[in-house]
Amino acid sequence: MAIVEHLASLLRKPIETSDEAGERSVSTQKTGDESGNTVIVAPPEFRFMYPEFLPDPAPETRNRLREKLERMDMLQRRSVIEIPEFYTGSIMAVTVADANSPNKFARFVGICIQRGGSGLRAWFILRNVVDKQGVEILYEMYCPLIQKIEVLRLERRLDESLLYLRDALPEYSTFPLNMEQERRLNNSVVPINPIKVKLRPRPWLERWERQNLQGVEDLNLPQRFYDKAEKVAKPWEKYDLMLHYRKTIPAEEQEKIFAEVHSQLQQQELKRKLRRRRGFDNEQ
Amino acid sequence: MNQADLSKLVSALRIAVKPKPRLLSCPEGPAGRLKKLRATVTALVKYERIELNYPRADEAQGYAERLISDAIRNGDCHKHTMEMADYWLNEKQLVHKLFKVLVPRYQNYNSSFTRLVLGPKTYPGYYAGTAILELKGNPFPALQPENHNYHYWLHNVLLEEAKKEFRSAQEERNAGTTESVTTES
Repeated sequence: MAIVEHLASLLRKPIETSDEAGERSVSTQKTGDESGNTVIVAPPEFRFMYPEFLPDPAPETRNRLREKLERMDMLQRRSVIEIPEFYTGSIMAVTVADANSPNKFARFVGICIQRGGSGLRAWFILRNVVDKQGVEILYEMYCPLIQKIEVLRLERRLDESLLYLRDALPEYSTFPLNMEQERRLNNSVVPINPIKVKLRPRPWLERWERQNLQGVEDLNLPQRFYDKAEKVAKPWEKYDLMLHYRKTIPAEEQEKIFAEVHSQLQQQELKRKLRRRRGFDNEQ
Repeated sequence: MNQADLSKLVSALRIAVKPKPRLLSCPEGPAGRLKKLRATVTALVKYERIELNYPRADEAQGYAERLISDAIRNGDCHKHTMEMADYWLNEKQLVHKLFKVLVPRYQNYNSSFTRLVLGPKTYPGYYAGTAILELKGNPFPALQPENHNYHYWLHNVLLEEAKKEFRSAQEERNAGTTESVTTES
């Protein structure tokens, strides 16, 4: 009872409010977004253009702080050097600083057969056939030794990984080392090259008949290979929802990451376009 | 280090997802694992509250949440979602229930859609014990009594502070009276 009387005495006292608080409560009007700020949302294609900004989904190695610091470092590197948009199947030329070469630079042209890694460890593999010898070089995208990355032909293929080019006829992996940058006819859409590659006769490095490859011509193997492939296949994995979940970053997190990174990437793009236009005008 | 898979967009689940899945060994092997979980998810959607052993309940909770979150995100006109619903729900009328009843129910939820409550662990018995897996918003009476008095609610915080103030004022008054008593004697 004594406590209730004490409370009642508190309520009878006038509540002191600061003038500022009073003004704030009158003046705020909620229009549009709750916080009053514009919400930055990156376009949905960003996850295909910049997949290395998304972290490795395995929860054992995730560290939010490390990922944030890595993203800052990646943007910093991108402000120094242009890392263009590319996909598996694009033909690229990479110039690397090499102390042992006569020109101090080493340039390699090849087709991107695979890309992986996340954060600063993102890599891609370029393949070419030089003097009838197949050569593959793995480049780390954010390595400070890389001087220039050019995309000579921007296109996609029917598969995400073109490792089967190792077992294909050499003409599908040969590109001239002095190839020039091709001009894109349509800047908004990245073309998909529907080419079907012919493989050399067996033995192969992997069992290509067990992987659902779209970009390969009919393998023409005896039926026992396809029977064994069916026996070994795991058709239930297509429906395993938790398996897919553990391999992906949820959409909300993706949006958050790209919203963080979007404005800076856009600014860098604009600066480069201006520089290119100015360079063009100067030439003219 | 692997790159995240980009082919599908997935909503974040609001349950704790363990890094490795349980094998749930059975005679048919990995194919049988999904078959068992399918039966569990179908029963959950049908009866809205089921009692079963804890490990299977924990696995099925993940799949049920994924199915409902996909249905909410993509709707019933999305081919992939419909394929998943068709696979995971053995009875086809439950596919209708998923899209027509459960999706509107969970549309604006900020929490998980299922609740996993630990059940009785009788001795001797299965070491992991039983669990009750239920969809939130089901018509049955609640399993756990709702605690309507949390210490962090504002009026409770104010009451605690008022009590402290009163007690300190009481102590001061008592100190004053004892001092006067001692000085008199």
